[in-house]
Amino acid sequence: MNIDDVLDEIRTLLGTKDDATVNTSMRLPSALRDAAALAVEHLDVAASTTVLTTAALRSAVETAVMGAALDAHYRWAPHARPTLVETALALAAQDGSPLAALPDRIEQAASEVLAYRPDADADDVLLWAEAQQAARV
Amino acid sequence: MRTLVLDNEAVHALLDADHPKHRVVIAHFAGVVSRRRRGRTVTVVVPTAVRVEAGWDRSSPSSATANRFGVGDESLDAPSADQAARIRTAAQVSVADAHIGVVMQTLDADEIVVLTSDPGDMERVAAPKRVTAIRI
Repeated sequence: MNIDDVLDEIRTLLGTKDDATVNTSMRLPSALRDAAALAVEHLDVAASTTVLTTAALRSAVETAVMGAALDAHYRWAPHARPTLVETALALAAQDGSPLAALPDRIEQAASEVLAYRPDADADDVLLWAEAQQAARV
Repeated sequence: MRTLVLDNEAVHALLDADHPKHRVVIAHFAGVVSRRRRGRTVTVVVPTAVRVEAGWDRSSPSSATANRFGVGDESLDAPSADQAARIRTAAQVSVADAHIGVVMQTLDADEIVVLTSDPGDMERVAAPKRVTAIRI
């Protein structure tokens, strides 16, 4: 299977409306299972450990598929890959941050953050830009 | 929980890699992935009437790439069709925009963000709900 076929198959499976369940041979560390049970009972995180586990697993798989789909798209259309600054600006806009209208500040923050953390993501850049912004006030 | 809603222009930009706004829309998707990797719950949806208007046929081979980006469909049922009809009449907007209005008014999300060519229209159809309308 190529990566596109894998992604399509995963999405089909994720979208399947199927109430059937299976007992899997998946092994969980017993301490983690007990921690999850306590969180369900006392922290109101989910209706059951099964619901908690299923939701976490679904979210992780969905995120992996979205990321892999973008990576596959960038291989096919390299010009579509946004820069770190562009992604940070998009997040600033989604957050309703005034920094969305200040690309120079985001660009400056990106260059400063990347000097220390070459693997920084857009949130690292945005956080640093917000801190700099707050220091100016 | 945050939900991004796509309008007609955002869908056009998503579907066409040569669209002048394609990279901007993709940057928003990259931001969604970044936030999800940090544990935030962020989803992206498209009202089905917007898909109709934008010509996004998920069964078409040309839609294969966009189909993989995890955009969920928001469909109209009978009550929401009534609500959309009221919004369309009151706001004098297209069917697709009225459907966006219903989706934004009814979504169970703490934060609603809409990627749009017309933030003013989006804020009108979402009222009284407050949304973040981003011009693309």
